[in-house]
Amino acid sequence: MHREARIANYVLAAYTVLALTMLSLPLTAPVLKLKACVTYVLNPVAYYGAKGSDRFADVPANIKDLLAADSENRDLREKVKQAQWARAEADSLKIENGRLRAELGLKAPQVRSPVWAHVMERDPLHWYGSIMIDAGKNQGLEISAPVLGQVGEGLVAIGRVVAVRANSATVLLLTDPLSSLAAYATSASTDNPKSFEGLLQGQNRARMLMNYLNPDALVAKGDMVYTSPTSATFPPDVLIGTVAQIYPPDQELAFQSAGVAPAADASRLKEVMILKPQSEAAAEAPKLSQVAPESQDGETPESSQ
Amino acid sequence: MNLLKLAAVFVAAMAAQWWWSTHLSIAGVAPQLLLVLTVATAARYGPLWAMSCGFFWGLFLDILGARLFGANALALTLVGFTTGSVRRQIDVAGLGPQCLLSFSMTWAYFILIGLLGTVFAKTFLWVGWPVFIFDPIYNCLMTVVVFAAWAPPRWDHHR
Repeated sequence: MHREARIANYVLAAYTVLALTMLSLPLTAPVLKLKACVTYVLNPVAYYGAKGSDRFADVPANIKDLLAADSENRDLREKVKQAQWARAEADSLKIENGRLRAELGLKAPQVRSPVWAHVMERDPLHWYGSIMIDAGKNQGLEISAPVLGQVGEGLVAIGRVVAVRANSATVLLLTDPLSSLAAYATSASTDNPKSFEGLLQGQNRARMLMNYLNPDALVAKGDMVYTSPTSATFPPDVLIGTVAQIYPPDQELAFQSAGVAPAADASRLKEVMILKPQSEAAAEAPKLSQVAPESQDGETPESSQ
Repeated sequence: MNLLKLAAVFVAAMAAQWWWSTHLSIAGVAPQLLLVLTVATAARYGPLWAMSCGFFWGLFLDILGARLFGANALALTLVGFTTGSVRRQIDVAGLGPQCLLSFSMTWAYFILIGLLGTVFAKTFLWVGWPVFIFDPIYNCLMTVVVFAAWAPPRWDHHR
């Protein structure tokens, strides 16, 4: 017999015996060990094959994303160009503002930097009272730091920090009865500009109450409510909400009130922005330090909250 | 022979078989690429390599399924041995003989798996009529592809 054929017969016999052993004794320890060993060696082919297949399956979607990203990138480049011009203009105005403030002897506003944090918890028993966030002292947060939320592309006032721990903090919402904030209501119409200052107070429900409005003020539903420049906690002109209800003036009181619907539903917020006071070294921009050397001298006491 | 090449074919074949049967099977009908390659290996390198490749490819098929562990290994080993043996009688280097072998070996493979089921699982492991009828044709088409990519040398050179 041909040598190759003879060897082939031996190999066939060996493989056949091995296969029949596996078939006839499937639950014996040696066969189970062999099966485990084969699975360990050969299973990665299917596993990595599946992963590779998934990767290739994503290729059309990735190419589509890439093309969309290219288009988006061009748009963003245009926006960046415009933003650069706007920034240059803002820097120029900032310098001019600092110079004028210095000439008038006004204190410079507090320089703050933003810190973003996730909303960790909201107590159901104090639904309109407070939320807990995952940033604290280690992130530079301080008591009374203003907290803003993002709605669309704008920022709206949410509350202020009332308790700070190492890596978490409690935020008192504007809807809490303990919250009060100097605010002004203004019409969205530019034809009839108006501005009425009042004190916004929480009522432990969805709406807030704006008190101490001038009894002659023509406040209307839909008027926008912003933080007042007289608030030392919040930066001025941050949106709070809209006037949702006008209460009839009480004859015994010397002011009128309005119900304000918050612009941001705090229960839907996932992230918030906290404005922390910026360190003096970081706050001192080279240009501004030349024109406004008296910045950061003192602190304005919180009068509205 | 180039061991590295054979090892690459060995692994790539398993991946291709898995991918094809997972993603491109129609009503359970998918080409038995590993069977076709066992036939091609036997035609190109003889029964020894074909049996070894067939045995381990069969083990791979066995671990993918939950049925008899060792049935596919035995079946593909026998396919490799049979094809390697008949190449002494007929010229298997051509496309036609390889297609014929793939066609007949597919039926033999299905029947053998069924019989092994009768013996070791007390039930004939029937693959179903659509697979039984269309898979040999599918395998013939796959043989053409494998032949084009991996044409064996003429029988005269190896005699």
